[in-house]
Order: sequence, then structure tokens, then C-alpha cells
Amino acid sequence: MRNTNRALNRVLLTLVGILLLGTGAALIAAGTLPWFADLWTTTASSVREQARSLAGTAPLPDPVRSWWLVLGVAVPLVGAALSVAWLASQGGGKNPRLAEQSEGTAGRTVIDAGLISTAIREALSGNTDVLSTSVSAWESRRGTALQVRVEARRGASPKDLADTVDQLLRTTDAWLGHPLPALVRITSGTRTQLAGSRRAR
Amino acid sequence: MSQDPQIRRLIRRETHSSRAVASLLTASVLLAVFLWLTLESVLWLLKDQPVLASPAMMLRWLQDLPANTIPAGMTAAGIGVAALGLLFLGLAVGRGRRHRRALDSERAAIVVDDDVIAAAVSGRVRLAAGLAPGQATTTVGGRSVRVQVRPTSGQPLAVENVREVVDGELATYGLHRRVTSGVQVLKEGAVGQ
Repeated sequence: MRNTNRALNRVLLTLVGILLLGTGAALIAAGTLPWFADLWTTTASSVREQARSLAGTAPLPDPVRSWWLVLGVAVPLVGAALSVAWLASQGGGKNPRLAEQSEGTAGRTVIDAGLISTAIREALSGNTDVLSTSVSAWESRRGTALQVRVEARRGASPKDLADTVDQLLRTTDAWLGHPLPALVRITSGTRTQLAGSRRAR
Repeated sequence: MSQDPQIRRLIRRETHSSRAVASLLTASVLLAVFLWLTLESVLWLLKDQPVLASPAMMLRWLQDLPANTIPAGMTAAGIGVAALGLLFLGLAVGRGRRHRRALDSERAAIVVDDDVIAAAVSGRVRLAAGLAPGQATTTVGGRSVRVQVRPTSGQPLAVENVREVVDGELATYGLHRRVTSGVQVLKEGAVGQ
């Protein structure tokens, strides 16, 4: 349900992969082909030469000396900023509000996710196949979406659980007046391992 | 299969990895490297002592790398870096399917862990054949559901009957990905209860 930009992740991972693959190929070539090792050395020395001559142009007063050196600081700084942006694009999108309606002077109605959460948890608390329930609201492309996470007892039928939650969601639809997109996760977890099976042995 | 594109999107996002962990790790490493490069270039501008190596030292090291390293070491390092690059490409273009699957529903996107399905199928088989816990084990993975049954000794169990139970149970789930079931009844029975 998180609003991670998945396409961006894959594109950036592709770029990093291609970059590493290129570096690896260059290293292998320099290790196996003598002419490539020579090319490597001459290219690096010409780059150094160019950097030195560039540092002499576009002068600035000491201690900076040249605009090109400012660029040399700015480029890694921009890289760091882009890395932070990539980090920040992961996850997010959890929303404590389920719905909101304001009608001019009539005021504003806000429905907290907690209301539906409590209702669904309460409704499932008597179900022996359910070990724990959590309900959260997330932003999605078309308004808020509801996530219901149900931890199933070992051996519980996922179909029965799915039908139960389906029914509950239909009830909440009737309360709220319009259906919310919903994701139901039926999971197994540590509690499933510990709680054992319901059927008599 | 649900027709609602939003439900389909929810299911797709829930059953496939977002690559967030790999992205977080990569972005953190890149951030550290870029910050270090910034610090080194600032220190070099101020003619201060470098932390590890100044930009000028780095360039010189890069230039002398083929001369100072034995070719075999160079090749080995290249193979390592290229393997890492392939790993990244694999993460980027791989499907990243998680061990979960979607169930049919008209109202919601329902995604169930494979473990839950396996436990439910085992339980159903045990109930139908009157077995004790542990006599039926189920593995759910990819497009297959494999059930292994150890019958109670002296009470033979027909594979067809078990298969019928398994297929019947799976049919009620309405899994979005078609699965094939495989049933194996072991020759050795469990000592009676």
C-alpha cells in the first residue's frame, strides 16, 4: 500500500547496474588486454591534464581560485541531494483520515481511520480463526484506500476469512455511503506459529 | 479476475516487491560516497589535510592503477564489480514476485500468504482422510501446490481421493494464478493413533 515509486526504483537500480557492469568490464579489459591498460593510463593522464588547465581558467579570488573548482564541489553535492531524494521517495502515503467532506457553511465532516479500524477489529475479535487484525488507511490514486491485515490461525481457511472480511467491508460501505477501495491481507506470522491449530488433536 | 483497474493495481503492488530495500541500501551508499567526495573537495580547496585522499590523489591513483596492480588482481576485481552490476540489473528487471497470491472477490483485493493456503490445504486433507497433525504437509510455490500424505499404517489411502479433496479446496479459493496440484502418498505409514 505504500506509495513507493516503483518505476523510479527500477530505473535507478538499472542505471547503477549498468554503471557497475561498465566499470567491471573496464577493469577486466585492463587486466587482460595490455593495450587497454595503456589506453586507461593515457586517458586518465589526459583527464588530469585537462582538469589542471581548467582550474587555471575562470579565475576567482583565493581560496576558491576557479569556477571549475566550485563545480567540482557542486557536482558531488548535487549527487548527495539526489540520493536523499531517492531515499525520501520510499514508502509513505499512510493517512489517518479516511474521508473528509466540507459543505460550505454546513461545516466539515472528517472520518478517522480509527473509527473503521475499531469497528472491524471489534467485529473480528470473536472469530477464532483470526489472531490479530490491523486496519489502516492509505492514499491511493483514487482517494483513500483501506488496508485490512488479518493474521490467520494455522489451518484456517483463507476463503472463509476472505468472505468474512468481504461482508464486513460491505457493511462499512453501507455506513460510509460509498465503497472505499480495499486491500485485505491474510497473513501468517509469529502468532500463527505460536498459537497452533484450532482443531482438536 | 477482477475487472476494476484499481483493485488490479492494489493486487499487483501487493504481490510484487517494490525494491525498496535494495533502493534504500543503494541510496544510502551513494549518499555516503557523494558526501565524502564533497568533503574531500572542500578540504582540497581550503588546502587542508584530506580525510582519506584528496581529489588529486584519487585521479593519480586511478591513472597508475594498471601499472601498480597485477593484471590478475585487476581482472578479479573487474569480475567482482561486474557480478555486482548483474545483481543490480537482476533486481531491476526481475519480476520480484512475493510468496502471496490473490483470491477472487467482488468487493476487495484479497491477497493471501502462501503459508496460509498451505496450512489450510493440509488441514482440509487431514480432516477428510482422518489423519493426525503432521501426516499431511503442503508446499505452495509458484504455480504448484504439492501435498505429501503419510497414511496411518493399515489404512490405505487412495491418491485420487486426496487429489479430489485438494482440487476441490483450491477451486473454492478462486486463485488468480492457476496452480497445478500434486499429491504424493508415502509408502511408509505412520504408526496408528
